[in-house]
Amino acid sequence: MAKPASPSNATALRDETVLRRVRQLGSARDGLGEWRLQRLTAIALIPLSLYFVASILLLAVSDRMTAAAWLSAPVPALLVILFVLAGITHAVIGVRSVLLDYVHTRSLLVAAGLIVRAAAVVLAAASVLAVLKLFLGR
Amino acid sequence: MERPLSPFMFPTWYRFQVTSALSILHRLTGIGLAVGSILLCWWLIAVAAGGELFAQTHAFIASPIGMLLLFFWSVAFFYHLCNGIRHLAWDAGSGFQIRSAYRSGYVVLAATVLLSALTWLFVVLA
Repeated sequence: MAKPASPSNATALRDETVLRRVRQLGSARDGLGEWRLQRLTAIALIPLSLYFVASILLLAVSDRMTAAAWLSAPVPALLVILFVLAGITHAVIGVRSVLLDYVHTRSLLVAAGLIVRAAAVVLAAASVLAVLKLFLGR
Repeated sequence: MERPLSPFMFPTWYRFQVTSALSILHRLTGIGLAVGSILLCWWLIAVAAGGELFAQTHAFIASPIGMLLLFFWSVAFFYHLCNGIRHLAWDAGSGFQIRSAYRSGYVVLAATVLLSALTWLFVVLA
């Protein structure tokens, strides 16, 4: 493979060309994609989680506004759905990377990974359904 | 396979450092928040269902155990948020000097205490 002409050689992992070279060595499969998704969801979660926590705090001290009324408005419904999806995606990647470090038995690792993913899908789908019910039922 | 597998360094070979303790705390709070997402999902379902389930859920949240969980959740959230921003700065290539890694670590701890205190002060006073 031709050597990339760009100076980004020094900051190797940012470069797709370098990724392909690593792939040929057989060590990296989909690690970089996961790494990227982890950072992408992290950045998205900064405003989304702060919005959620601030809203919950205001709900907790408010006498008139109820959680159901809050979640049936379009902007809160959208932002809470995005918060849940970004948060659960971020959590799955994080928990799986912890499992990779601590579970050294292959079969246990695969089983734990499946359980984490299944739980994540159920939690995400149930949360989205709950918010959609409030939003559509207003 | 007899090769050492990660994390094999910390208890045996490393002496205690604030930076590595903060790194482990990032993982612990991350796992805590992941488990907490079950409660978040439960709360959303309770709000959507309304009635009895919502009343029971709020009674649980208002109970001492519920408030304690919420307190730990808030501290874990603020720590993971602040330290996550520290990690993003490292990913962008800045703050790698040992001195700045320590300094940003102490900033993260201070910000966690401050944000948690402000949050619960707001709840108590409002």
